[in-house]
Amino acid sequence: MVSRVLRGRLLLDHIGPTYTEVLKRQMESSASGAQDRLINKVIDKGLCVACGACVGLCPYFHYFDGKVLAMARCSRDTGRCVEICPLIDRGDIALDKMTSDVMNTPEIGPYKKIIMACSLDKEINEKAQYGGVVSSLITYALGKDIIRSAILTDAGDGYAPAGTVARSRSDVIGCAGSRYTASAGLEALNMAIKTGEQKLGIVGLPCQMEALTRMRHMGSDGENRANSIVLKIGLFCTWALDYRSLFADLRNRGLREPILKCDIPPPPAGVFQICTRDGWREFPLNDIRPFIKKGCSLCQDMTAEWSDISVGAIEGIDEWNTVVLRTDLGLRLMEQATEDGVVKVDDLPKKNLMHLAEASFNKKERGRLTRGEIR
Amino acid sequence: MALNLIITGVGGQGNVLASQVVGKAAVKRGLRVTIGETFGLSQRGGPVMSHIRLSRKRDYGPLIPPNKAHIIIGLEPLETIRVLPEYGNSETTFVVNSWPVYPLNVIADEVEYPDTERIRSILEDAGGKLYWLDATRLAIDLGAPILLNMIMLGTLCALPDFPLQMYDFKDVLVDMFPESRLELNYKALEIGNEFITENEN
Amino acid sequence: MKGISQRSGDIHLLLQGNEAIARGALEAGVVFCAGYPGNPSSEIIETLAEAARDLPIYVEWSVNEKVAVEAATAASFTGCRAIVVMKQNGINVALDFLTNLTLSGTRAGLVLVTCDDPSGISSTNEEDARIFARIIDAPLLEPTTPQEALVMTTWAFELSEKIENIVMIRSVSRLSHTRTRVLINELPSFDPRPHFDTGLSFHTFPVVAKHKMRHEKLDLARVLFEKSSFNHYEGAVRPELLIVSSGCAWTYVTEAVDILELSDRVGTLKLGTTWPLPKGFLKKHLAKCDRVLFVEDVDPFLEDNVKSFGADICMEIGPKEYMGKASGHTPSCGEQTPASILRVLGRLFSVDWQDHAFMDKVSPIVKDIAPPREFGLCPGCPHRGSYYAIKTALAWDDRDGFVSGDIGCYTMGIWPTGFNQVKSVHAMGSGLGLASGYGKLDRFGFHQPVVTVCGDSTFFHAAIPALINAKFNGADVLLLILDNSATAMTGFQPHPGTGKTAMGTKTDPVDMEALCRSLKVDVEVADPYDMLSTAKIIYRNMQQKGPRVLILRRKCALVEGRERGFPYKMRVDQDLCLGEECGCDRYCLRIFRCPGLVWDKHAQKAKIDGVICVGCGICSDICPQRAILREERE
Ligand SMILES: Cc1cc2nc3c(=O)[nH]c(=O)nc-3n(C[C@H](O)[C@H](O)[C@H](O)COP(=O)(O)OP(=O)(O)OC[C@H]3O[C@@H](n4cnc5c(N)ncnc54)[C@H](O)[C@@H]3O)c2cc1C
Ligand code: SF4
Ligand code: SF4
Repeated sequence: MVSRVLRGRLLLDHIGPTYTEVLKRQMESSASGAQDRLINKVIDKGLCVACGACVGLCPYFHYFDGKVLAMARCSRDTGRCVEICPLIDRGDIALDKMTSDVMNTPEIGPYKKIIMACSLDKEINEKAQYGGVVSSLITYALGKDIIRSAILTDAGDGYAPAGTVARSRSDVIGCAGSRYTASAGLEALNMAIKTGEQKLGIVGLPCQMEALTRMRHMGSDGENRANSIVLKIGLFCTWALDYRSLFADLRNRGLREPILKCDIPPPPAGVFQICTRDGWREFPLNDIRPFIKKGCSLCQDMTAEWSDISVGAIEGIDEWNTVVLRTDLGLRLMEQATEDGVVKVDDLPKKNLMHLAEASFNKKERGRLTRGEIR
Repeated sequence: MALNLIITGVGGQGNVLASQVVGKAAVKRGLRVTIGETFGLSQRGGPVMSHIRLSRKRDYGPLIPPNKAHIIIGLEPLETIRVLPEYGNSETTFVVNSWPVYPLNVIADEVEYPDTERIRSILEDAGGKLYWLDATRLAIDLGAPILLNMIMLGTLCALPDFPLQMYDFKDVLVDMFPESRLELNYKALEIGNEFITENEN
Repeated sequence: MKGISQRSGDIHLLLQGNEAIARGALEAGVVFCAGYPGNPSSEIIETLAEAARDLPIYVEWSVNEKVAVEAATAASFTGCRAIVVMKQNGINVALDFLTNLTLSGTRAGLVLVTCDDPSGISSTNEEDARIFARIIDAPLLEPTTPQEALVMTTWAFELSEKIENIVMIRSVSRLSHTRTRVLINELPSFDPRPHFDTGLSFHTFPVVAKHKMRHEKLDLARVLFEKSSFNHYEGAVRPELLIVSSGCAWTYVTEAVDILELSDRVGTLKLGTTWPLPKGFLKKHLAKCDRVLFVEDVDPFLEDNVKSFGADICMEIGPKEYMGKASGHTPSCGEQTPASILRVLGRLFSVDWQDHAFMDKVSPIVKDIAPPREFGLCPGCPHRGSYYAIKTALAWDDRDGFVSGDIGCYTMGIWPTGFNQVKSVHAMGSGLGLASGYGKLDRFGFHQPVVTVCGDSTFFHAAIPALINAKFNGADVLLLILDNSATAMTGFQPHPGTGKTAMGTKTDPVDMEALCRSLKVDVEVADPYDMLSTAKIIYRNMQQKGPRVLILRRKCALVEGRERGFPYKMRVDQDLCLGEECGCDRYCLRIFRCPGLVWDKHAQKAKIDGVICVGCGICSDICPQRAILREERE
């Protein structure tokens, strides 16, 4: 330390501020900066869930190989990055969910109808996670020009899965199946908005749906940005995994990227199944738990309450999805798709609805508790 | 006594070449001359300062003692006031190019570049004579910013008491530049020279 | 035939200190010249290389300083005068050979020039190389002016032949880079007839006997020094203070004495032959007064040696008050300046020499408003692209990785211009040496990735053994060779990879990829201008084990600008740039920091500074708005 200070003083004579001084100045100037708050409250605490909402809004955040990273320090007092981040507490957005003509349950949030459904498209069925409802609806919406492109999450090529823009049926099928790692798909949304794309559809996790809601209230251009999205399909989610630590472990177990599909069969199986080019493998769920994103433990939304349509699994019925229709748009899209023979629907068994409500309620409780502990 | 001249500026402004022209011209005229050059790590962007000491009688060391500069040629305003406390005095003559070259820390908005008018008034108040000209602009108008150093050399030989004349400089430029570029450099010398003679009274 | 290689003498030329040394060597009929570039020494070999166009001499840039001395010594052993040139750090590299060489002795005149850099103006340290003259028992000469440097250099060859050992000359930046009127002498005819006399042998055995011979040679030098005109006294017959000084600092001393009007009260002893000390000469002058002040650059070399001699003869000359670095009268580090000398003399004689009225008026204002000027990489510098890619890859990787640095322009990676990526810098090749150590710490739980950088010239100079070490010991290291095809820091000297020698002849370039591959080290090449792709390659390499080399290849911007010119005319489209409205927080200026980009105060947007931007075009990749446009130049 002494020698560094000494050196610093000597250098000052000819060459301006030394590294330590500049660094200190940068820290000071940004101590109250918006980005600083995000870094201090979320990133440095390891709470970032890699939704990708802040990535691509400015040059300071990158998503790379499964991780959202602060690349440099920004000194601005206000910033869209803190306004959009779902991990930063923000009371006012709860209002967005309240529309008058819907059921609003404490467990599953607002909805018009809960059903079960599955795709009638063979090719989709083959690749889809469960019932293929998500991929079918997106393909359908593209075909009917309800949306012009869709923000999906790919399987990753060489690096971790990441957001991508799908414009065709084959693009959509290429993205079918769930990667259980947090993959910052919203970066692709920000990039698409930047290039002026309109009429966007998007598929994402509950945290990503929440970020989209915050987006409307963000900065001076939030409203415009939000208006470029017309369809939001949310996925059920209990938690997501951290790509890098998971893969460091999987590599040790002899697995190679990319992940084609993952599954967590309903309890009491207690296993994690993963499909790569080398086929399916199965590990005890407890081996995988250490790689759960820390921030997921704060999340109180299992069923993607801020979406038009939320889609999840159904315990015991592998080829079907639970589908929560939350908005008029969601309701109409599902009706049309059924009429046009793209999907078939049925009533969701009472027992499954009960289970869903219970699981969702449990996640809310856990989230509330942990939030108290961590903050 | 030596005539002490400082040429100060930043890398890339042709400082070293300018001081060499003065040196060579002085040697041709049979004067004693010593030039000390201070340039740091970088070829471009860092401060560069030449101390030139002309004398009829003896050789002087490469550094001018504190506050003993008779003439300070400032290729850049900030670098000019930087040398003021250390080398200037109440009789120093200043010839200063008013066109700033912003340091990186200024560009990055970490520190502020002083208002050039403020620099001008500080130099005016300091005592001696001040010639203030937009020499980079003149150089650009003439054809290239790098002609700045020749314009400033042109001002030098118009100063009263400066022992070298424009033809001395022209004479050494012949050996330093290809024929094709000579005319332009001569023109630059003349522009600087005219500026001083016009502003003399 | 003009300038430095002109055969006739008795002419005045404007010469730089380094040029004067070169001319002095030529006037001694030197035929073999070797060195390794390094500020402030480089111009000596460059000047000689230029002279080689007209004169039958041989000049080389050697791969490093040790090899340079060895090569030059071969010339000496075969009867050809030789000179070897380096900066202060170079002596450290060459020392192993030198300590043995002075035991074996030499034949034809062999002169070693070291150019020290007090205050480290363009160095990583301000080492005082004079101490090595003592260590190796070589005579040491210290010139004060370019004129004296010329004469001393010529004489050093005579001395070397007389005592049959190498002779050292020490210059400093201030002298090496001073230009002044110098009187040159005629050149001799160059007629070397190299022959190794197999009746002779050069080695260090028997060691003690050779050591004794070495001391005898030094004594012989001392005898010559006693009468040398390089030492002289000036001033009062019985001065109140005796100033002992050497090198460039002496010129400041004489001027300070004039300014303070002390010429009747002090005496100045100028020493040009500072090791071994001319004892008789010294004794005569030490006897003159009781107070002695030492003025010299960097270490108390004269001070310690004279004091020790003063102790030996204290019965004869009486006790003295010695003042200098030990007593705190002169600064113990950094360069001497007219101000530092005026300060000490003013204090000792109570003369107020400062223009207080003026200082009080301007100093505070200037201090207040003049910001320091931050150093930066040149506009268009490929290192900016390299460091941006490194910074990006390290941030992506997110394991608190860092850069182990080295010596060259890219040392500036320790500052904001290189995004503060470099966390350590020491000697040539040390970045990789350190990295090969970090690369073995994983067994103790060290998992921070380390990237090390070195220049192309540095690679050949000293990094190769470290690379072999990493390979041999299986260290996890990623070496980035920042190959800008020149020894840019010191002025674009050729090196083994450039395919050209100091004398401009073509040579088969050493292929660094092939060299690495022969070690079975993975090598890749990437373009530092393509920052994002390069970042990906660096990232990918960081995830791998074992030693790897990635060459980031692009010509130095100054060379490119001179040879071909850059392809683009740059422009910020101010309709696209959102200025403060953009969330980028002036990213291009604040973070990327190329001096070619500036803030347009009127428009409150970024703009290109047409005077400074060279048109490399890389910044257009970093603007989130894609507002920085590159247009092909015709
Ligand atoms: C991290 C994660 C956790 C989940 N946890 C649960 C759960 O606990 N309970 C439950 O019922 N369902 C969960 N799901 C949802 C379930 O896996 C299915 O995605 C959903 O049932 C839709 O099935 P599908 O057959 O219609 O999907 P498909 O038609 O196969 O479509 C899947 C869609 O998911 C998108 N996708 C894939 N990976 C990701 C990702 N990492 N982030 C965002 N989008 C992605 C793809 O873009 C694709 O469009 C989870 C999904 C993810 C990605
Ligand atoms: S040019 Fe680009 S990076 Fe620079 S201020 Fe404008 S928007 Fe920001
Ligand atoms: S093009 Fe951009 S990066 Fe290159 S010199 Fe110009 S301003 Fe600098």
